[in-house]
Amino acid sequence: MLRKTLTDDTFYLNMGPQHPSTHGVLRLLLRLDGERIVECEPVLGYSHRGHEHMAQTRSYLRFMPNPCRMDYLAGLMYNHAYCLAVERACGIEAPPRAQFIRVICAELNRISSHLLWFGAYLLDLGGFTPFLYAFDDREDVLSILGEITGSRLTYSYCRFGGVARDLTPKFIELTKAFIPKLRVRLKDYDTLVSKNVIFINRTKDVGVITKEQARDYSVTGPNLRACGVPHDQRRCEPYSVYPEIDFEVITADGANGEGDCYDRYLVRMQEMEESLRIVEQALQRLPEGPIRAKGVAQEPAPPPGAYQYCYESARGMLGIYLVSDGSRVPVRMKWRTPSFSNLSILPILLPGTLVADTVAILGSLDLVIPEIDR
Amino acid sequence: MSQNESLAVILESSPQVTQLRRASRENDGFDFSLSIEPKGIPELARMLKDQGFFLEYLTAVDYGQTMELVYSFSKWIEPDRVQAVCPAWPMEAAPSICGVFPAANWQEREVFDMFGLEFKDHPDLKRLLLIQEEGLHPLRKDFVAGPQHSGDVVETEMV
Amino acid sequence: MITTLSKTWQALLDFFGPLALVLVIGLVIALTYVQINALFLVWLERKVAGHIQLRIGPKEVGPFGVLQTIVDGVKLLGKELITPRPASWLLFVLSPILVFTPVLVPFVVLPFGENLQVHDLNVGLLLIFAFAGLNVLAILMGGWASNNKYALLGAIRSVAQNVAYEIPLLLSAMSVVIMANSLSLRAIVDAQEGLWFVFVQPVAAILYLVGATAETNRAPFDIPEAESELVAGFHTEYSGMRFGLFFLAEYTNMFIVASVATTLFFGGWRGPIADGPWWFLAKVYLLIFGVIWVRWTFPRLRFDQLMNLAWKFLIPIGLVNLLVTALVLKLVR
Repeated sequence: MLRKTLTDDTFYLNMGPQHPSTHGVLRLLLRLDGERIVECEPVLGYSHRGHEHMAQTRSYLRFMPNPCRMDYLAGLMYNHAYCLAVERACGIEAPPRAQFIRVICAELNRISSHLLWFGAYLLDLGGFTPFLYAFDDREDVLSILGEITGSRLTYSYCRFGGVARDLTPKFIELTKAFIPKLRVRLKDYDTLVSKNVIFINRTKDVGVITKEQARDYSVTGPNLRACGVPHDQRRCEPYSVYPEIDFEVITADGANGEGDCYDRYLVRMQEMEESLRIVEQALQRLPEGPIRAKGVAQEPAPPPGAYQYCYESARGMLGIYLVSDGSRVPVRMKWRTPSFSNLSILPILLPGTLVADTVAILGSLDLVIPEIDR
Repeated sequence: MSQNESLAVILESSPQVTQLRRASRENDGFDFSLSIEPKGIPELARMLKDQGFFLEYLTAVDYGQTMELVYSFSKWIEPDRVQAVCPAWPMEAAPSICGVFPAANWQEREVFDMFGLEFKDHPDLKRLLLIQEEGLHPLRKDFVAGPQHSGDVVETEMV
Repeated sequence: MITTLSKTWQALLDFFGPLALVLVIGLVIALTYVQINALFLVWLERKVAGHIQLRIGPKEVGPFGVLQTIVDGVKLLGKELITPRPASWLLFVLSPILVFTPVLVPFVVLPFGENLQVHDLNVGLLLIFAFAGLNVLAILMGGWASNNKYALLGAIRSVAQNVAYEIPLLLSAMSVVIMANSLSLRAIVDAQEGLWFVFVQPVAAILYLVGATAETNRAPFDIPEAESELVAGFHTEYSGMRFGLFFLAEYTNMFIVASVATTLFFGGWRGPIADGPWWFLAKVYLLIFGVIWVRWTFPRLRFDQLMNLAWKFLIPIGLVNLLVTALVLKLVR
């Protein structure tokens, strides 16, 4: 032991908690040997706000604003998942029009989350320009969603049994204009970024996750699909109106290696295209009807028992585990957030790589630290 | 549904399982819920991993007088969800399943952090999210958030 | 007192010769031009970056934001010069000065026009490369003296990068030198009377431009200042005008490297009609525009890929180019 410390040339480098590239307040304690990483330990808890404690001490309705603050990039998806979980526990079903509206908004939210990830990832790798283009597109999505929800980032739009407000004609018009515009932009991103030699060299064969590692560390979402596993909650455990909509589960095809940063990048870029298809189909099939189920108590008290809901959020599988004792306040609400497991694989991916790869790998996992800390 | 039946047989034959309940995916969200003694958890985990399951999450529930540990396992592509519930405090500590599912490392640290439940043979059981303060386990029912839990500066060890 | 001053000046002139006066005046003009150049280049970079990124860039201060650089300079001057306490004070303070000063000297040999050269040194090119190599030492001083791991990592990477990319730079310049048969910049421009060297030596031109982008630490070779990885690289701990000096040195270096490229490959001050300094400046700023364009388009190379590119790819190509040039010249002459 003493011998190791005397001849040990390694030194500690602290990346974060304030750092331009750790997406949120994450502290990475790296032990470096020159430029190579020997060991990595993430230190968490800088954005812990006690959401699960708040869930245990507040009624279901009072807790409604909290989920979107956990993962603020996919806020509407968390809100949707929360309403679905409580609806399952109470045995309520939202009317078809509300379900279609929820799916449209969730997919638009997925697009905006992926766009921000794309911009930030390229920014970390040194290409400053795509960030601004991605945000330009994202502004359109935020305006569209802001039209009916009233918020740009943190949404409490879904209610137990439906949604708060109906779609306006302007919403439909803006969405119909946005879809072709984003398609053109996605082609631009493909030409300028996906086929860029420098980008490919930075991301190919970097941070490879094998299927066994993915199973061991419970990796889900686009990270898992990039390893070649076609697991998507929307297809495997369909909820809401997804069974009626035709979309592909984007998986890496294994032709050029699997599970590296480049595959994760491609999976997310193509998922944006699939989300556009889903929005198009949902808009076409949108039925008329009420947007709230009748007779639903706004302060629900689910029957005693344990309930679980699994949802496909932008980052992976979101799980809500709800224990109720029949009152209006839950006994326990556990939020199984995808970034928690996705980050836990980092300490085995990093050793042996260079410091520059840390940024590439961390960015490709698409983490939002506040959803880890809750 | 024969797959489910074969899974039921396997689960029932697992040691330490005290009760196996069938549930429905639409109403409850999982297919099976079993009660198990803490000793049997690593064996169950190993068996499920061989069947192709992964650990979704592991958490605890505080009912006031007792606490329970809840494990949720699921599969890829055709998800059969199995939920295992085992009694925790004031019973014995459950063994860690880090050897079977490395994902449990952080999950168990979080349970320890929030509830104070220890896991035997965990490689590095320390707090994950909260500050280093004795007795601070916020998700317990007897926890009262007081003024001492807001805004105080706590010395942390520097590396 | 005035008589003592004039006697000293006379003595100096007698000792060094009239050349000294010329050099001193030249350096003063260079110093002034550096400021004007920095003013223009910073504005150009921000406008070009803005338009590439779907926005406009500075527009408030002055028409089209031309006064923005002056205002930024005033802001930098007003900032407190913070020296971290554990930093090695002398090296810390000396580093920006040593980065900036050698950048002024190459102005003395740059041929802006037919008779617009401060002094035509017969080893002019050698002078430029010698002084360009000094900034490596100054960056290393700055990174080490900052007592900051990020700065140290940035400085180490910068040294490795600069040393590696100097070689393709020199090899491509050598190809031109053996064609023009002289190291003097005036002779090189004169040798391009009929045809610019870029058409005769395209490989050397590309090699030179890539090496030049790497020497000035510009993207995609801006690892030493990689904001997203190392906060700010070797100038993390510098504030105020010290940071301003690094900044100034970088833009002046860009100008010098582009001027050398113009002289070596693009015919210097020659043009299809009306030779003169306007052609020189136009070509230089066009090349710089290209460098800026590349910066805002591409992501950054990883450090080992950068080194591999230099050692395994560019240097062999440079050597082969040099040999082929020498062979062809031997056969032709």
